Amino acid sequence: MREKLNWFHVAILTYMIQLDVTLFSLPRIIAEKLGTNGWIGVLLLSLVGILNIFLYSLVHRMGKGASFFDIVEASLPKFMIYPLYLALALFYIYVGSILGKSFIIIFQIMAFPTTNSMFLFLLYCYMMYCMLIKDIYSISKAVTVFFFVTFWLGGLTFYYFSEWEIVRLTPFLFKGATEEISLNSWTDIYTIFVGCELCLYLFPYASRDGKWFKGVYIGHIFITLVYVYVIIVSSGFFSFHQLKAMSYPIIDSLAFIELPFINRVENLVFAFFMFSNVTSSVIYGFASLSAMKRIFPRMRKNVLEFVIAGITFGFGFTAQILRETDKHVSDAMFVETILAFSIPLLLIVLLLIQRLRLQKGSERA
Amino acid sequence: MVKRIMQLLQEQPVAVAPPVEQTEEVIPPSLDHTLDQFTDCADLVHRSFPKANLDVVYFAFLVGNDEFLRDIAMPFSDVTESEAALRLTQSQYMPVNNSKDCIKGILNGKAAIFFQDVAFLVDISHPIGRSIAQSETETVITGPHDGFVENLVHNLSVVRRRIKSSHVKTVTLEVGEVSKTIVVLVYMEDIVDMSFVQMLRDRIQQIEVDSVFETNQLVQLIDDNPNSLFPQFMTTERPDAICSKIVAGRVACFVEGSPSAFSCPTSFFEFFSSPDDYYQRWQLGTALRILRIIGFLITMIFTALYVSVTTFHYEMIPHTMLLNLTESRSKVPFPPLVEAIMMETTIELLREAGARLPSKIGQTIGIVGGIVIGQAAVQAGFTSNILIIAVALSAIASFVIPSYLMSASIRLIRFGIIFLAGILGNFGIIVGVGLVVIHLSGITNMGTSYLTPIAPISTYDWLDTFARGPFWSLRKRPSQARTNNEVKSRPRK
Repeated sequence: MREKLNWFHVAILTYMIQLDVTLFSLPRIIAEKLGTNGWIGVLLLSLVGILNIFLYSLVHRMGKGASFFDIVEASLPKFMIYPLYLALALFYIYVGSILGKSFIIIFQIMAFPTTNSMFLFLLYCYMMYCMLIKDIYSISKAVTVFFFVTFWLGGLTFYYFSEWEIVRLTPFLFKGATEEISLNSWTDIYTIFVGCELCLYLFPYASRDGKWFKGVYIGHIFITLVYVYVIIVSSGFFSFHQLKAMSYPIIDSLAFIELPFINRVENLVFAFFMFSNVTSSVIYGFASLSAMKRIFPRMRKNVLEFVIAGITFGFGFTAQILRETDKHVSDAMFVETILAFSIPLLLIVLLLIQRLRLQKGSERA
Repeated sequence: MVKRIMQLLQEQPVAVAPPVEQTEEVIPPSLDHTLDQFTDCADLVHRSFPKANLDVVYFAFLVGNDEFLRDIAMPFSDVTESEAALRLTQSQYMPVNNSKDCIKGILNGKAAIFFQDVAFLVDISHPIGRSIAQSETETVITGPHDGFVENLVHNLSVVRRRIKSSHVKTVTLEVGEVSKTIVVLVYMEDIVDMSFVQMLRDRIQQIEVDSVFETNQLVQLIDDNPNSLFPQFMTTERPDAICSKIVAGRVACFVEGSPSAFSCPTSFFEFFSSPDDYYQRWQLGTALRILRIIGFLITMIFTALYVSVTTFHYEMIPHTMLLNLTESRSKVPFPPLVEAIMMETTIELLREAGARLPSKIGQTIGIVGGIVIGQAAVQAGFTSNILIIAVALSAIASFVIPSYLMSASIRLIRFGIIFLAGILGNFGIIVGVGLVVIHLSGITNMGTSYLTPIAPISTYDWLDTFARGPFWSLRKRPSQARTNNEVKSRPRK
């Protein structure tokens, strides 16, 4: 019996793809870009994310569940497609790599200042490879377990309740941003929702009726709630100016936890988030693998996966310090945001052209 | 060159040879041929009954005296040929047309009767072995204490006595080119998903091996992931456990000569439940299941966490504990990784020695080990007090897991995680745990997910996985069994 991804697993995948290293700096980014009570801005941007998902569901409906590749190949000649696939594949590997490297560098700074970050990244890539060689159902199973392993960490926020004060949220809306709020500020923040567009590559593995899209919406709404919750907790715990001064407010707030048997849990808790980060990298890798399989359909088992993990590791050399990874993540996410909207629009246009051609063909007949 | 590399990387089409039809030559059974086959078998007995013109061949140590008297000695002593022919028409005397079947029958404890160019088999076998006894590896506090034994007939009778239903069906198969071990599949006809029965039957029939002597050996020949460290079939020596699996819509399998049976499909979490859970109040059963999961986590990461904290993350230790720990560690000349690996290995040596020795000497080993790895090791400066607590706690926690096979697998994996913790601290532990999860996610059993009911998710099954829900709430059979007959109980009116 061939398995199909159901909405629950799609929801968890969507949530875990979007939850990455940016969560730890999110309260600061929001404070810098939007000022006070920026969580309202996150809610507004989440609606844009929903619109993005709607575009993909439209593609799914119009294409009757056909995969991205099938739609493109039905309209464009092969000499155009293969360079496009290759570029897309490399870009996805780059995004996955840079997200992973960013996480590793933060961890290295926190716990292993003298260790070469590439050594840690090698293990990260190995984990990614181990997941990539499995099918998407097994990946989704692993991600589901990772979700349960990390989800309970949210309970740690109860520790801050005694120190949390609503007055710190201030009654002002979008005041005190570092620069004047512009379209650029909004696009910068929107990058936290990047990832749900990868549902495009799940089309062939889910039911054709599109009920699983419910999972993409739920996953997206869930991550929105998590972001809003994290921002509210941080904003009520730290003052607004403190938030702007801290690089990673979430990590700093974790350092506050002191239990009778364990202190300073931040590097343990932060390490747990590697699961969600690896998930993001793996799904980007999976998207890349799907594209590469179209170019090299007869490749031996696990070769392409190994190549992807190898290139991911190779891209890791492009950013060796935190400032570089931040810049790379920001740039990559910006391009990915553009792709997230342009790909479904392009596919809708292609599907309309295909439909017109069919209509003309049937009229002639 | 590039072309050559690409060729190497590309999948090569596999040439499939057309199946060769093998026709087996049928040799009619005869006394001479049979005796020829068993040349130099001192335990073979050939007896003649001249008056009846009848010959009997059997293995002396496989047959029972009473059975021999009943079906051979009394009916054919002092009878004429015509009387013998009449008696051989009785249903217990089965005519055989093939010499191979005749030899197989003799090897199974039957007697071959050769009469007027016709051969008959009569079952006069006498089972030997211990009578039904308590399982030593799976003990329970409350509940039945009988366990399976090496005798297949006894084991099947125990099942039949527990499930008195005509829907309990059995399929007999044979495994092992040399050992010809009998394997019996047992299932409930109207509950089981027949595709599992078919799949299991196919897999067993496809086994090409000279001998199979144990259930745990057989399951390794039919599992989906032969290279995995984890046991993929639930094996048990307890009849009540196997009967509950059969009733739940799973397929059970017995192997001749083995005191354990297995059931399938199996999930990872099944290994954490014990029949005991159902014989106690549900709150207690639930607490025990949670305790086992905590035990599993302690076994996996507690020693590794000690290594990680004392090697890389001293800041995680509360200052009230820090002084004691540093004092304890100050006398130890080894790094925490070496110290932990040494102690874990010692514990494993003690466990293995205790398991191999007779129980009375095994107790002595426990006492000696307790002194050696306890007080003496600390005084000698070999290890710290706190590591002993960590190692002992991990060892105790591992024994909470009811399945010995699962417990042993987890203990072995723990070494890998300790090693990763020793070189990469908390990051290493997380990588280790992540790799285990990734590995588990790829395992399937009879085509079903090993991580059921987490992935694929089935929240209803959680009631009987992470907890032991009250009986009124456990109304459905597990989703992994894919049964069409889902309802197993109705609420009390």
